[in-house]
Amino acid sequence: MAISLRESLQVGFSDFWTRKVRSFITIIGIVLGTMSIVVVLALVNGINQQTIAWMMERGGLANITIDRNWQYNNERNLPDSFTLKEVRQIRSSAPEILYFNPQISTRFRFSYQDKEFYGGVMGIYPDFSRVEEWDVGAGRFISEHDLSQSNDIIVIGTTVRDELFGNHDPIGKYITANNRRLQVVGVMQHRFLASGQDVFRDNALEYLNRRSFIPLSTMVNKMTGQDNIRSITLKAASVEEAPALREKLEATILNLRYGEPVFRVISARERAEEMQESAATFRLIFFLISLISLFVGGIVIMNIMLATIQERTREIGVRLTVGARRRDVFLQFLVQSVLVTTIGGIIGIAVGLSMLSIVQGFIGVEMVANLSIIIVALFVSVGVGLFFGISPAIKASKLDPVEALRYE
Amino acid sequence: MEEIIKVENLQKIYRMGKVSVPAINDVSMEVNRGEFVSIMGPSGSGKSTLMHIIGCLDTPSSGDYYLNDANVAKMKKTKLAYIRNKEIGFVFQTFNLLPHLNVLKNVELPLMYSGVSPSERTRQAKEVLAKLNLENRLKHKPAELSGGQRQRVAIARAIVNNPSIVLADEPTGNLDTSSGNDILAIFSDLNKAGHTIIMVTHDREVAKRSNRILHIVDGYIKDGDIT
Repeated sequence: MAISLRESLQVGFSDFWTRKVRSFITIIGIVLGTMSIVVVLALVNGINQQTIAWMMERGGLANITIDRNWQYNNERNLPDSFTLKEVRQIRSSAPEILYFNPQISTRFRFSYQDKEFYGGVMGIYPDFSRVEEWDVGAGRFISEHDLSQSNDIIVIGTTVRDELFGNHDPIGKYITANNRRLQVVGVMQHRFLASGQDVFRDNALEYLNRRSFIPLSTMVNKMTGQDNIRSITLKAASVEEAPALREKLEATILNLRYGEPVFRVISARERAEEMQESAATFRLIFFLISLISLFVGGIVIMNIMLATIQERTREIGVRLTVGARRRDVFLQFLVQSVLVTTIGGIIGIAVGLSMLSIVQGFIGVEMVANLSIIIVALFVSVGVGLFFGISPAIKASKLDPVEALRYE
Repeated sequence: MEEIIKVENLQKIYRMGKVSVPAINDVSMEVNRGEFVSIMGPSGSGKSTLMHIIGCLDTPSSGDYYLNDANVAKMKKTKLAYIRNKEIGFVFQTFNLLPHLNVLKNVELPLMYSGVSPSERTRQAKEVLAKLNLENRLKHKPAELSGGQRQRVAIARAIVNNPSIVLADEPTGNLDTSSGNDILAIFSDLNKAGHTIIMVTHDREVAKRSNRILHIVDGYIKDGDIT
């Protein structure tokens, strides 16, 4: 003989509509709170997906990178780059490496006829294109023969081509860099990150299109004259094998530097996991900030519920007189505050979702909404109603019938 | 005659800080089934407190109250709510209708707390309202009705669950003489239809409508007719 939940909902709904203005003001805080939850979670989700897409674009998760460990304070002044001899040692220590690419990066001023271009050049192995999963779009890539003969050839990125050659075919032409004439044998494929957009640029991979590539031997023997290889990128046979290979390489390299961690050896998979972990922290922080606004919204609701109960003391007295039990009164007011926050939550979710494309256009980061975001936002808004509705509802249910009836 | 209410050595003491204020000192009384009893007394005499205890809205400090031979003084609050819902109908001086509900919804209220289905609720409420000539006012809000109409709605709400006892606290106090007489006529009709009626009033003319008048002075009851 209890009043059912459905009954309480009906009473709650009619109360909600009877006091439209008040209800509207009450839910604003919740609307804003859930809206920010939806936007923030979609933003973090988008950044996360973009990171993974970026890793995949950069040659997949089986890749391993060896470079300088900037956290290591090199007080013993150990060499912080590899010699060609050491690179060969590293290569032979792990025959299971699928593709292996030691590299030197520097910058040169190129010229062709009256045009000039200042940009990055990498001295690399032919495996570069397979490690990075990036091939030439025209001409050919650097070959083993080029490497063994230290040929004066160069492969350029699309932006370099556009800047130096405009619409003309660059293949076979000679460009000058560092007083050496290098023959253009190929142009790399244009790189564009389709799955997302960078915060500052339109194309997250544009920096790659501005690069040029020459054989590592040409770089060491003819261009810089320095046998200092600062980083190595390589690919394991599979994503699963990458962590074991990484450990093995780390041991080899530690050995080369007397056990000092001058270099770090990172697998793309572990890096992706790290990035996802930091994204999770990021998400948690923003989620908590959104919760603060919901907390404020909840306090507003509690306040208004307390005022409502005060105002309706006589009504509660009447309900108790005609047979309402304490539980019925408690349920009536709890359901009402949950109803208010849930309606606010649904509006907030709708507003948040419709705002995603606007925010996306504004800050240039892709927003990815999914069902779990909606469920979290809904869950939180119901939770706020329960949490902040309980104490007013208890207060209402504890009213003494006689005093409630006397209340003016 | 069968006793429906039996009150023995009832006492109600309010504590205000360190001072105890007795509202009812020592009241014993009986009401038989089908009676129409008036309780008269000056303000502050304890008649409203007695009414609240009889109506299960309040509990005595000591003494016993038997309603249909069950000792109400020892009942739990949930059980009291059940009795208020099923056994007792309340009519107040100030009507106490819920202002944002229409006439029909106000009358359906006790049925809702009895767990009656919505369609059956509406049917029963309409039936009672028709008996009280309010069938044209179903969708009106209380504020749109005259005082007499409001009190009739309140009576409809009090009797919709067919309680054995109707308690009326100064039911004509806020009405003009003509409307008041209509309301008193309704109570007489209800009494003839079998409801036990207990009415609190300070108006001797009103009290004369009942079969019996109890006088309460300073928390003590003085049974008997004063004519």
